[in-house]
Amino acid sequence: MSDVAFYDFVRGPFLKFALFVFFVGIAYRFFRVIFLGLPADYAKPKGSPPFMAVKKIIIKPTMGWTFNEIFSRRAINFIGGFLFHLGFLGLTFFVPAHALLWKEITGIPFPTLPNIVSDVLAYAALGSLIALTVHRALNPVLKLLTGKDEYFANLLIALIIFTGLLATRWAGGGSYIWLVSLHLFLANLLIIYIPFSRLSHFVYYFLSVGFMGWNAGKRGVSF
Amino acid sequence: MAVVLSKERVGHEEVEKFYQFCKNSINTEVASYLEACVRCGICAEACLFYMGENVSGRIDPTLTPAYKADLLREIYKENYTLLGRLKKLFGFGLKIEPEDLKEQVRLAFYTCTNCDRCTKACPMGIDTPKLVSIVRGALTYAGLTPKDLADATNMSVEKGSPLGVDTQTFLQRIEFISEEYEVEVPVDKKPSEYLYIPSSIELMKFPASVASAAKVLNRAGVNWTVSTVAHEATNFGVFAQSKEVTKEMLRRVLEGAKGLGVRYIIAPECGHAYQSMRFIAPNVFPEEWTFEVLNIVEFIDKMIKEGKLRINKKVLKERATLHDSCQIGRRGGVLREPRRIMNMVAEDFRDSVLIPEHNICCGGGGGVLVIGDADYYRQKAFISKMTLFDKAKAKTVVCYCANCMLALTKSSRELKRDYRFVSIVELVAEAIEEE
Repeated sequence: MSDVAFYDFVRGPFLKFALFVFFVGIAYRFFRVIFLGLPADYAKPKGSPPFMAVKKIIIKPTMGWTFNEIFSRRAINFIGGFLFHLGFLGLTFFVPAHALLWKEITGIPFPTLPNIVSDVLAYAALGSLIALTVHRALNPVLKLLTGKDEYFANLLIALIIFTGLLATRWAGGGSYIWLVSLHLFLANLLIIYIPFSRLSHFVYYFLSVGFMGWNAGKRGVSF
Repeated sequence: MAVVLSKERVGHEEVEKFYQFCKNSINTEVASYLEACVRCGICAEACLFYMGENVSGRIDPTLTPAYKADLLREIYKENYTLLGRLKKLFGFGLKIEPEDLKEQVRLAFYTCTNCDRCTKACPMGIDTPKLVSIVRGALTYAGLTPKDLADATNMSVEKGSPLGVDTQTFLQRIEFISEEYEVEVPVDKKPSEYLYIPSSIELMKFPASVASAAKVLNRAGVNWTVSTVAHEATNFGVFAQSKEVTKEMLRRVLEGAKGLGVRYIIAPECGHAYQSMRFIAPNVFPEEWTFEVLNIVEFIDKMIKEGKLRINKKVLKERATLHDSCQIGRRGGVLREPRRIMNMVAEDFRDSVLIPEHNICCGGGGGVLVIGDADYYRQKAFISKMTLFDKAKAKTVVCYCANCMLALTKSSRELKRDYRFVSIVELVAEAIEEE
């Protein structure tokens, strides 16, 4: 297979297949949980559960930061986690090359980040991912909680960012097609892998935090 | 006959019962929590048991809240997820050994008070107390409740209270309190608007709390009573997560309250009592539970706002801090009320936390206090708690839960500390006295 044929394959049918698996898989995981049902709750709420559910979904990621002692012991989780998510989401949708691809697929124009911002995000995401993985491998609590899933996901994402940087920056244009194709190939693998792994936590975030906020509203606590 | 069992031997039958209970407890909310965990372990740093060990220089990762729900998570996976089901189908399913259940007893009953602090710190908002409660329920269903807790639970069903306070003892104690503290306590007065239900811990160990509540109720001028039918507010069914016991204890409250035709039930200084009557009872008796449940602290705050109670003096002179009851505070929404009261009754009140929901549990909640085998963990947890008292530079700690007060007093004594624990209702009773 020539480099261009491989490129066309990973950017065309393989990407479409990956996205198909992603959406079907995520929809399945989401609705499977939704359809389990809930028991009725007749206790009169003390506050406003729906308002708190929405509020928590918006602010929850910052709630942990207010625990000073936890933040000081786990700064790597909070700062690294924040930078990684910011970088990962920013890169996925708003790097010029990616924005172009999403526009091609969805027909909707995506705003693009300046190159310098993309670069900063890429280094921030890669650096924090490495730090988080080292932390995961050494911290006794994380060692107990971590399975193969976490390491595989971290490795895959790190390789994707790495090959992206390699193709566009570090290789200076050499082997560009092969590197971009490899980058796309790995990204497709990740897209397929998400519904089968804990990376699908972004869907459950809305449910889990929504319930937590609902309960906070029910109990009348503001935090 | 004992309702809750505490079997010594764990066999195949117990494992099967545990498994089935866990499997049947899954709903959208529980599944969301189980699925959402990203294994970040931040919850460990929020857990007073983990922190207590850590401060002592020993790291025990198994005390991480996320880990406490892991067996439940595995059971969920192999029954509700596609990959899990396939694994089970091809013989790679979960194999639970009797030893695993013993470990679950340690994790769910000894080292978790359902305090909810981990939920607040968790970036995914996972309600670990809810998950641990399911594990507790499954262990109780399998007959594996820790012996001390099972005994107290059974005692509450048989005699009416975990401390063995039956109706006769209740009346004797009320009479003693009336005479000793010179306060009028109406018994079974009909019609009454308010029903005050003390907990047996207060009746037997902190009678001044009951007397103070009576003084406050009298001074507020409300039409109130205690009941000989609904005389125990504590609900050990919630600790053991036995639906039958929870229902039976609440049925007695319902019967007493209905018989007296009251509109309000005032829960005492007891966390699980408030939790069970305010949030659980309406779901156990959806049709009949028509009462408004207030915690005594909520009631005092309400009366002050309505001008029916006036705090005349600051009775606490020394530096004091506040200990929050998790079930009344973080899980019950009564956090601002005790702080407003503290500012009125204490000259030098210093909060140990910036956000009230951050406060640390006493270490004895959720039934941990009565379990002898959990003493080691309770003492370690107290070390986490102490850091907050010391941060506020306070030796006097004001509480609004008798169970917290008992646990803190016990741990403090065992660790040879000189903290003084006082009830907020006692302070209010003193502060409303005429000059």
